[in-house]
Amino acid sequence: MEKREVTLQISRFNPEYDESPYFETFKITVHKGMTVLEALQYIKDNIDSTLTFKGFCRSAICGSCALKVNGHPKLACKTQIFIELDRFNTDTLTLEPLENATIIRDLAVDLKDAQEKFEKIKPYLIPDSEIVPQNCKEESIVYPEEVERFDKYTDCILCGSCYSMCPAAINFKDYAGPFQHARIYRFAKDPRDGLKEERSKIAYAFDLWQCIRCERCSDVCPKQVTPSEAVIHLRAMSIEKGLTLNPGARHAIAFYKSVISKGILNEAIIPLMSKGIKGVIEEMPVALSFLARGKMPPPIVKPIEEIESFKKVVALSEEVEL
Amino acid sequence: MLKLDVAVIGAGGAGLYAALSAIKHNPKIKVGVISKVFPTRSHTGAAQGGVNAALSNVAEDSPEKHTYDTVKGSDFLADQDAVELMCQIAPKIIIEMEHMGLPFSRLENGKIGQRPFGGASFPRTCYAADKTGHVMLQTLFEQCIRRNVRFFNEWFVTALVHDGQKICGLIAIDMKSGKIEVIRAKAVILATGGHARIYWKRTSNALGCTGDGTALALKAGVPLKDMEFVQFHPTGLRRTGILVTEGARGEGGYLINRDGERFMSRYAPEKMELAPRDMVSRAIETEIAQGGGFEDEEGNKFVFLDLKHLGKRKILEKLPQIRELAIDFEGIDPIEEPIPIRPTAHYCMGGIDTNINTETEIKGLYATGECTCVSVHGANRLGGNSLLDIVVFGKIAGEMAAEYALSSELPEFPVEKLKSERQKIESIFEKDGKEKLATLRNELSDALSEGAGIFRDEVKLKKALEKVKEIKERAKHIKVEDLSYTFNTNLQQTLEFLNMIELAEVTVLTALERRESRGAHFRTDYPERNDKEFLKHSVVTLENGEYKLSYKPVTITRYKPEERKY
Repeated sequence: MEKREVTLQISRFNPEYDESPYFETFKITVHKGMTVLEALQYIKDNIDSTLTFKGFCRSAICGSCALKVNGHPKLACKTQIFIELDRFNTDTLTLEPLENATIIRDLAVDLKDAQEKFEKIKPYLIPDSEIVPQNCKEESIVYPEEVERFDKYTDCILCGSCYSMCPAAINFKDYAGPFQHARIYRFAKDPRDGLKEERSKIAYAFDLWQCIRCERCSDVCPKQVTPSEAVIHLRAMSIEKGLTLNPGARHAIAFYKSVISKGILNEAIIPLMSKGIKGVIEEMPVALSFLARGKMPPPIVKPIEEIESFKKVVALSEEVEL
Repeated sequence: MLKLDVAVIGAGGAGLYAALSAIKHNPKIKVGVISKVFPTRSHTGAAQGGVNAALSNVAEDSPEKHTYDTVKGSDFLADQDAVELMCQIAPKIIIEMEHMGLPFSRLENGKIGQRPFGGASFPRTCYAADKTGHVMLQTLFEQCIRRNVRFFNEWFVTALVHDGQKICGLIAIDMKSGKIEVIRAKAVILATGGHARIYWKRTSNALGCTGDGTALALKAGVPLKDMEFVQFHPTGLRRTGILVTEGARGEGGYLINRDGERFMSRYAPEKMELAPRDMVSRAIETEIAQGGGFEDEEGNKFVFLDLKHLGKRKILEKLPQIRELAIDFEGIDPIEEPIPIRPTAHYCMGGIDTNINTETEIKGLYATGECTCVSVHGANRLGGNSLLDIVVFGKIAGEMAAEYALSSELPEFPVEKLKSERQKIESIFEKDGKEKLATLRNELSDALSEGAGIFRDEVKLKKALEKVKEIKERAKHIKVEDLSYTFNTNLQQTLEFLNMIELAEVTVLTALERRESRGAHFRTDYPERNDKEFLKHSVVTLENGEYKLSYKPVTITRYKPEERKY
């Protein structure tokens, strides 16, 4: 059986003794197929019983063991060491606790902030009495294609990986977080839910527009849930619900209106429409520097030549249901 | 000291359903859930295939047929009144959960989908792809948030406290602070899951399925029932023992030996791959023993679970998680290659002895879920009946406990119990450390796998019993080396192991004394079922440090024991 010597640099921190985390190096022999979680348990069993980490199901369904492997959030239980060594072309792996969470000890974190936000976004079905029968004799009728619309979002295991990397969640305390918005969307698309698309108002109240669409959340999700898509859909829903009085929504609307009328973006008027006069005055230094370098976009834009065909395409695309 | 009306220990499906039903019973009741993990980490989430209920959405079915299949599957050891109750409530409780938002897979007509499962006469297993337990756990947790259930997450319960007649509360370690805390409660519900981790090296179970609640009950003087019955799931992944759902065979998967033969035709000609789990596991092990299996370079022996013929679309739609597990843990894509599998310790039919109302021998102490033996599974549980068991009896436990709490006063808490528990925990830090936790845990696993595995006999069981007793003595030398208060998982794993040893000993002891073969308990020296002598539940009580074994009758209502053929 193939074996390799590997160096694991593990972040250690015990709040009883340490002021800040530090790295400790463990050299162990790893066999093919061995996971990061198995390696951690091996060290705990044979080298250092004080090594602290979380792990439970071993099969990527409980979400306990998320941590950072060479800087990337991963589930320790389904991350094979050989694969990571090959990926980074190295014999050293760095293991650290998730970010944007409180370190309890070593690799074990407390996801309290993320969990408290989760509890606040009404993460439960509020039944629609027209769809969900009042008695316990009949099930609600939900067609497979309706389940399909939200099914992927029920895969979330609350591991906190997305939350740990989300710039909006890190920088804005009122931003709900990626998995939280994904859960809002899951219920918004469930035909049994009484609030349905009204749920986008909850998302809006939790700073929906702070997402910068970097899509890190969808990249790191170990269950291929795509919170960034949920955010985009929730934004569209919230605009339809009339929640347009913020720069993000106004920017999106201005962008859309500009493009569908001319077939091309009128960049010059976007700041005005997104941020209003006050915003434009604030942005004036930027505009002036554009102007000074001859990069100011023209304020009047002519429609593209094939504008009529383009409008047909737009009309068709609007019939597609997301 | 914290005070609760109802304290639920364990936050899996049974615990969460119990908490919900207690609060629904009367919103004024103070309910708290104490769990060693965050609720959605619980092992209910790992259940894949589904939950049984005679909804008749796919084929005409009835609770009576469900009852019969379950009783037959149990090899007639289940208490038939309890099975009847469970199967009668099943359709209602599935619909109740559907109304809570559980995202079941649907039929074209919009009704809940049902798939065939082992030992069932009809497609009766309601499912959500291959993540049924996961979505059930999430849904129940969501409802608990909605009802403001109070959670004590990452608290590890070390003792139940009672006054000889009634429960007074519990003692637990708050893992984050390391503080030993007391929770006084009028009623306590144990819902701590199974203990198949006693087979440490080869099990489908989570690392924490160590039977803590079952051991707590045993140490509190509550009897355990039918502990010899441990189910080995036929299809665990070759190397890790991680579960591949029975749904994979329900959707049409084949079991193949090295001759390319669907060998189940020789063991269960009618039901083939969908015979009950005990039979399929024995068939696989027999094939391997007779040289019909495969062996890899690491020495793992296995047969194949072949899904290729189901086609890409069906695999992606119905078994997406299985595909991912096979890719991540075996490096095999089931669309293109068969999955190497071997039986894995999976489920404990035995557990805390309760009646049909989830009551134990101590007033105010209830038990539900896999830690419990009502018994609805008897000698062998049918696939899809475990998720049903936890919600049906979780609900009953919640209602019973709530009702009891409403009609009783909070008992005085004997403070001296806290002192003695503290001393007991502290003493583990002061042992000589001559023995190591990991070594003994592996030895325990080997002793059980060899002596109390799929095939058992007198000689092997006696040897296993000696070995377990030896391990128990040696375990007195295990020292907790980690001296920190903060999240001391070295302490927790040691306490879990001490619980496991107790349950291992009871398992071997009862297996030795049951000189017959029934369900998952197969004795090569007594290969036949013996109703005359052994149609009875084994009951073990801890009295003055000694295990006392007795028996009690099985409740038989409508279904007379008959030969079990599939």
